[in-house]
Amino acid sequence: MSVSGWFAPVRAEARVAVLRSVLYVFVLLDVHLVVRDPISLSRHPALYRPRDFAVLLHLPPPGLPLTWTLYAVLVVGCVVGIAGRAPRIAGWVVAAAFTWWVAIGFSYGKVDHDHLALVVALWLLPTVGAVPGGWSSTRRSAQAGWALKCVQIAVVATYFLSAVVKIKNGGWSLAAWPESYILLWAIVRRPHGLGQFLMPYPGVLHVMQWGSILAELSSVVVLWLRGRALLAAALFWMGFHVFTVALLYIHFAPTVVCWLAFAPLERLRPWWRARHPPLEPPVPIPARAEPARR
Amino acid sequence: MSAPDVAEVRQISSWSLTWRVLATLVLVVLLLDGSLRLKDEAWPFAPMSQYAFFPGPDDTVVITRVYGLLSDGERVELPLRAGTAGIRRADVEARIPNFEKDPSLLRAVSDGWSARNPTRPRPVEVFLVQDHTHLVKGRIVSTDEVPLAQWRVTP
Repeated sequence: MSVSGWFAPVRAEARVAVLRSVLYVFVLLDVHLVVRDPISLSRHPALYRPRDFAVLLHLPPPGLPLTWTLYAVLVVGCVVGIAGRAPRIAGWVVAAAFTWWVAIGFSYGKVDHDHLALVVALWLLPTVGAVPGGWSSTRRSAQAGWALKCVQIAVVATYFLSAVVKIKNGGWSLAAWPESYILLWAIVRRPHGLGQFLMPYPGVLHVMQWGSILAELSSVVVLWLRGRALLAAALFWMGFHVFTVALLYIHFAPTVVCWLAFAPLERLRPWWRARHPPLEPPVPIPARAEPARR
Repeated sequence: MSAPDVAEVRQISSWSLTWRVLATLVLVVLLLDGSLRLKDEAWPFAPMSQYAFFPGPDDTVVITRVYGLLSDGERVELPLRAGTAGIRRADVEARIPNFEKDPSLLRAVSDGWSARNPTRPRPVEVFLVQDHTHLVKGRIVSTDEVPLAQWRVTP
């Protein structure tokens, strides 16, 4: 495969259309369930420290008018995006507003690392532009393939780079992190069902840490997998996230939803059609003779 | 099936393809650079540093909490979550020196909790504390509470 064929493979545009709709629905959920605190945080300017890009772009410090405006823009933008209208304009408005919204949420102390793929997806999926036929489109393009590939890279980078940082922070030692007591530390801080059950078994926790860092390191391979191997990898990572929820109640939902960039979403509409065939056109009713009497 | 076997393929110019490949490379370089060199401030190109540190078997695990005293002396937890106090525990933990220096910043937690619990009386005083859980050989042996700051709530 040529270099450009790897970076921008020809893929169904219907996959982009479906993914865009799903992600705009997810953004609405995200602002209510995940990064849900920018409005309340914006009441406390003394705790605000801008992120670098906010400084670079001279973005004003957040206050209630700004965060409420961003919220309104996100709701309207997502509704327009779900409807598939004005995909470029609506898409980039949502991308900019959501990036700012999340950045505000991450400017009062803690930065989470689960939003990278979603932010990349929101910025790049609009580059595909209008998809004629929407979810039913049969058109394919390198434009679609490129945007999807970038989302896939961002998903994988979330795992791979977290392993890189662990190794780097451990003085470039692979064993430093999995041999540490990080999971025990995390469970003490986030006591939760399965985690509390496993607390007395440090050996089991160390095995899980080894499994985790090795999986993160090898996640790059996913970018080259196809068919059943790709499905198996996707199921493995979904299982990984279910496990971290059970263990620590950490969900990474914004990354999980972006795994859909790997899925053949373009088959959704044909699959649905095959199971729900359109009704036969009704037989035209022949004109009846006017009844003899009223 | 009525769908055509050969799907339509949209054209792409070589320039269009070139900038896309270059943009991907830039994205990858920015992400690598972020994780290898930069800090949280660089978000969205911040390092993927979640849990990337190395507690030992004899470390102390620190949990930050805020509780309030009601006028009748009852002690209520003000759980540090977005849904219960409008601010997350990790956000408070990242600003501990600020809270110690200016305890009135605890208003963020107190007001956040009161706004979400309008039927409960407002705390008259709030306390920022840390639970220190001491580990020995990977097992919890004791826990103690360390006070950090307190603030008498003003309207």
